[in-house]
Amino acid sequence: MHETMTQATSTNAELATHLLAENSSPPPIEITDLRLVRGSRTVLNGLSIKVSRGEIYALLGGNGAGKSTTLSAILGFLEPDSGVIRVGGFDPVLEPDRARTQVAYLPENVALYDQLSAYENIAYFLALSGREPGRSEMDGALDAAGLQHEARERRVAGYSKGMRQKVAIAMAVLRDVPVLLLDEPTSGLDPRATADFNALLNVLKARGTAILMVTHDLLGAADCADRIGFLAQGSIVDEVRPSEGIDVLALHHRYGERTAA
Amino acid sequence: MSRTRLIAANEWRLMRRNHVARLALLMLLALSAIATFTSIAHRAESDALRARFQAQADREFDGQPARHPHRMVHYGHFVFRPMPALAAFDPGVDAFTGNTIFLEGHRQNSANFGDVRQSSLLAHFGQLTPAFVLQVLGPLVLVFVGFGTIARERESGTLRYLKAQGLAARSLIAGKALALGGIAALMLAPALFSLGWLVVVEAAPLSGALLLAISYAIYLLFWVMAVIAASSMTRDARSALLYLLGLWALTTILVPRIAPDIALAATPLPTRLETDIAIQDDLRRIGDSHNPNDPHFAAFKAETLKRYGVTKVDDLPVNYRGLLAMEGEKITSRLFDKYNDTQFTVQARQGDTATGFGFLSPAIALRSASMALSGTDLDGHKRFLEQAEAYRYAIVQELNRLQAEAVTFADDGNRNKDPEAARRVRIDPKHWHDVPDFTYRPASLDERLRAAVPGLALLLFWLAAGAAMLRLASRRIGAAL
Repeated sequence: MHETMTQATSTNAELATHLLAENSSPPPIEITDLRLVRGSRTVLNGLSIKVSRGEIYALLGGNGAGKSTTLSAILGFLEPDSGVIRVGGFDPVLEPDRARTQVAYLPENVALYDQLSAYENIAYFLALSGREPGRSEMDGALDAAGLQHEARERRVAGYSKGMRQKVAIAMAVLRDVPVLLLDEPTSGLDPRATADFNALLNVLKARGTAILMVTHDLLGAADCADRIGFLAQGSIVDEVRPSEGIDVLALHHRYGERTAA
Repeated sequence: MSRTRLIAANEWRLMRRNHVARLALLMLLALSAIATFTSIAHRAESDALRARFQAQADREFDGQPARHPHRMVHYGHFVFRPMPALAAFDPGVDAFTGNTIFLEGHRQNSANFGDVRQSSLLAHFGQLTPAFVLQVLGPLVLVFVGFGTIARERESGTLRYLKAQGLAARSLIAGKALALGGIAALMLAPALFSLGWLVVVEAAPLSGALLLAISYAIYLLFWVMAVIAASSMTRDARSALLYLLGLWALTTILVPRIAPDIALAATPLPTRLETDIAIQDDLRRIGDSHNPNDPHFAAFKAETLKRYGVTKVDDLPVNYRGLLAMEGEKITSRLFDKYNDTQFTVQARQGDTATGFGFLSPAIALRSASMALSGTDLDGHKRFLEQAEAYRYAIVQELNRLQAEAVTFADDGNRNKDPEAARRVRIDPKHWHDVPDFTYRPASLDERLRAAVPGLALLLFWLAAGAAMLRLASRRIGAAL
């Protein structure tokens, strides 16, 4: 009895420490008043977004709204003119390599080595991130991403866009990092794969991963995101929480209204 | 495994799966192996042939019957230059200058002032030797294997993806350079085998061979860096290929081809005909030993009679004709030496000008160092000519001395009228045996190293340039994303 009580006390203390650490640790993604000018055009103009652990944030916007630019800035590929970006507490401009260790990135057009198989691509990219997953671990991630077994040993040169997307998703899962950036993640996927993908996002979310996705797909975003930010002319013009019960038609209308402004 | 080694290992895997890269590399290795074996065999065969001919020429000279010494002066003698062991690696100017000369009295050896030296002989191209394969074809294969190494990653999007994995540009560049460096090392392998063989079997100097290997390694390393830099800094693989092919054509073919011509135009060398005419003019001015009224030889005669305390040449204890021949040979040789020195000075200036183009072409820098270290540069040829000329002068003067001491003046004057005198002027053939054989003294290792310094310094300059290009490329990769 005494032993059980001691164990319970210890578990509670660990939990409390964990929660304290979680509350005191910086948010995985924090963008404050970001301004980015390219040439004569202001692409981002006072953009602020904060994505917490275990949250999926969908960034919606028309072409040229600044969605992909936002991802590039988070990855440290573009240097903002003003404002602050923190990824897992690191500034991607000042400490790009450390910031990128916190991030898994899924581009719209997944780039893989055509001469390598899915296994080889995954093993190589993950080895560069310091991880060496075994075959069963890779199979687990590829199963979750929905890539057929028989395709995994084949060179990816013959893969469809959706299959490449699945390999990249498996890589993102295996990297097991606090931040996941997704650029139009379901654009090459069929409806079933999209549903599988959304399920996978929920698994990652439950694992505590902060997910920022940019997309045109309002319905897809409404399906899986905790928050949806409407991006227009470089800043968030509106934000909705699908969980608050907004119907899709109203959401569509609101999106059109806000982004047209 | 470090990231650099991971990238290199992946690059090698991709190359193994790329038919073009595999084929290009296999072809180069095959060519390299063929060049190595044929060059070693050719050098051994040529050297044996030269040694045989030299022995035959010595035997024929020694085997001449009793003759008038002056007949022997005009009988002449062939000398052959033995090829240095490392000539099997880089024959340099050897094939163009020749290695055999005929030595005869009153005449400069047949190789001096030849028009073949007009081009400074630096423009040699096309011999299938290990040196040629590495100097010309090696960079070309590196270009074809490596032009897309980073440019293709940029085009396909994997570069952005790699960066997103937190990969630093310098790790990427280092990994790619390591991979292409491995290919360069593979290319170098047959050459290393060839150099090792020459050291072990043909007794080539180890330090010379090592320096040759290092020079070629630096040269290929420069190309590795140039290929990686171009691949990093261009927008796409096609542009990288075009730039690199342009660089190869310019620095490996065009500049080495035109540099000697520019050097020649800057410091022209007279043709053999012009030199011969100038020498004849000078000889006429200096005097004719056959003309009793010639002021120079009249003074020589007076001075000789005074030295021996006699009034007539008939009373001299030695044959005056022999003394006259010695004096004539001294004068003509001095004149030949003067013209030869002038020619070599001009050629040295041409060589310096051509080597100066090494700032525009690493191939020129390498050729200069390679030929110097192999002992097959123009200096080696010059050394042979100088030694052959010294030998010619020594044997001709020895024969003239024999004429002066072993043949009487009276017999020499009557040899065409009196058969007994004609018999007596033919001296014992044992004298020909006493003439020492020609022994070529090759440049010492120190001398070769000194001659290689400009080329080696230029190679280091290119290495530094390559490193600077890589630094720039590393910055550009980050900026281009």
